[in-house]
Amino acid sequence: MQSFIDDFNLCFVKNGRWEYLLNGLGVTLEVALAAIVLGLAIGFLVAVIRSTHDKFGRFPVLDLIAKAYLAVIRGTPMVVQLLITYYIILRSVDSKILIAILAFGINSGAYQAEIIRAGIVSIDPGQMEAARALGLSYWRSMLRIILPQAVRNVLPALGNEFIVLMKDTSIVGYIALIDLAKGGDIIRSQTYSVYLPYLTVAGIYLVLVLTFTALLGRLERHLRSTGADPVHNNS
Amino acid sequence: MDEILLKIDGLKKNFGSLQVLNGISTDIRRGEVVVMIGPSGSGKSTFLRCMNLLETPDSGSIWFDGVEIVKADEKTKNRVRSEMGMVFQHFNLFPHLSILDNITLAPKLVRGMDKATAEAKAMELLGRVGLADKARSYPQQLSGGQKQRVAIVRSLAMEPKVMLFDEPTSALDPEMVGEVLDVMKELAANKMTMVVVTHEMRFARDVASRVLFLEGGRIAEEGTSEQVFGAPKSERLKLFLGKL
Ligand SMILES: Nc1ncnc2c1ncn2[C@@H]1O[C@H](COP(=O)(O)OP(=O)(O)OP(=O)(O)O)[C@@H](O)[C@H]1O
Ligand SMILES: [Mg+2]
Repeated sequence: MQSFIDDFNLCFVKNGRWEYLLNGLGVTLEVALAAIVLGLAIGFLVAVIRSTHDKFGRFPVLDLIAKAYLAVIRGTPMVVQLLITYYIILRSVDSKILIAILAFGINSGAYQAEIIRAGIVSIDPGQMEAARALGLSYWRSMLRIILPQAVRNVLPALGNEFIVLMKDTSIVGYIALIDLAKGGDIIRSQTYSVYLPYLTVAGIYLVLVLTFTALLGRLERHLRSTGADPVHNNS
Repeated sequence: MDEILLKIDGLKKNFGSLQVLNGISTDIRRGEVVVMIGPSGSGKSTFLRCMNLLETPDSGSIWFDGVEIVKADEKTKNRVRSEMGMVFQHFNLFPHLSILDNITLAPKLVRGMDKATAEAKAMELLGRVGLADKARSYPQQLSGGQKQRVAIVRSLAMEPKVMLFDEPTSALDPEMVGEVLDVMKELAANKMTMVVVTHEMRFARDVASRVLFLEGGRIAEEGTSEQVFGAPKSERLKLFLGKL
C-alpha cells in the first residue's frame, strides 16, 4: 500500500506532473471535438454531392473529387496522413493543434460522409417527392426533410465514428503534440514508472468513451420516443 | 379567368426503352373532378406525376393557369408545384415532424407565412377533417386513415388550385376508406379541381365529372361516369370493368 502511495506521489503529485494529464486531456478533447465538427461539415457536403450525383447525374466533377478524396483518405493510414499534413502540406503552419484538427477532421469527414450517405439512401424516395410536391426546392427538401431523418437513422454509426476518432487522436504524439496519451508517456519517461501512468490514461479514455456512449444513447432514445427532429427541434 | 386550368397536349414519357405515356392530350377545367382508371402499368401515376413535374415529360406541353410549365425554369416549377396539391398512396407524411409541423412547413418555407398564421390555418383545416386533437402527435401515432386526412390537409394548407390524388385509399384498411373519401367528396362539393386515380367506383360514380380510361399510355376512352361505367364502348374497357 505504501509503495502505491509513493508511486502515486511520484507520478502525479511531484513536480505537478498531474498537469501533463490534465493539459493532455484538454488537447485530446479539443482536437477530437473540433475534428468531429469539421468532419461532420465535410461529411454532409460530400454525402449530399455523392447522393445527388448518383440520383440525377449532377455535379460530375465534384463527385469525382469526392470519390478521389474518399479513396485516398480511406486507403492510407491515419498516422501517415497526420505526418504528411504536418511535414508537407501544412509545413508553414505553427499551431500543432490546428494541424491535428485539420488532419483528423479531414480524415473523419470521409468516414462520416459514407455513413451519412447511407442514411440519405435509406430514406423512402416518397419523402423527397412529398417535399417537392409541396413546392420546396431540392436543397430545402434535402435540408429539412431528408437529412434530419438520415442523421437520426445513422446516429449509432456516427457515434461509433466519433468514438473511434477520439481514440485515434492518441497518435498526435507523432507530431510532438502533447495529448492525454503523450502526457502519460512523458510521466512514464520521467519516473520510469510504467503501470500507473498508462493505466490511468487508459482509464480516462474509457471514462470518456463510456460517458459519450451514454449521452448518445439518451439522444437516440429521446429521438425515438418523440419522433422529434434532431436538427430543427423548434421548426 | 380562363375556364381551363390544366391544358395537356401530346404528353410523352419513356423510361429507358419503355414508352409509358404515348401522347396524352386533355383539358382539365376549373372545378372539374377527373377520375382516372386503367390497368396496372397503364401510366396513371406517371401521368399524374408529369402534371406537377415530379417526372419530366420527354415531349408535349402542359399549360397550368395559362403558363407553359414543361419548359419552365426551376423556380417556376417549384412555384407551380406549390400551387398543386398531391396526395400519395402511402401518405408520405414527414415522420420527424409533428402533425402541425407537417402541415405548416411548406406555408412557412415556401410562402413565407408567419408561424402564428400558418398554425391557425392548419388548426382550422385539421378541425375540418376531425383531427384537431392530433396536432401535437407524430405521424407514427396515427392510423392510416388519419394519416391520409393529414396528408390532404397538408396539401390544402398551400391553397392549391388543383389536387392530384394517386390511389389515396389503396393502402388503407377497408374500414378507413370511407373517412378519406368523405373528405375528398367535401372537397369536390366545394368546387376543388381534382384529378383522382382510384379504383373506388362508387366514388367515381358519385363525384366524377369525367372519367378517363388509360390503357398503354393513352386515353383509350373517356366520358361521364354514366357513359364509361354504364355504356363502355371498347372491349378493353369492358374487360377492365369486368375484372373490378
Ligand atoms: N421511375 C421509373 N423508372 C422506370 N420505370 C418506371 C418508373 N416509374 C414507372 N415505371 C414504369 O412505367 C409503367 C407505368 O407506371 P405507372 O406507375 O405510371 O402505372 P400505373 O398506371 O400507375 O400502375 P398502377 O395501377 O400499378 O399504379 C410501369 O411499367 C412502370 O414499371
Ligand atoms: Mg400507380
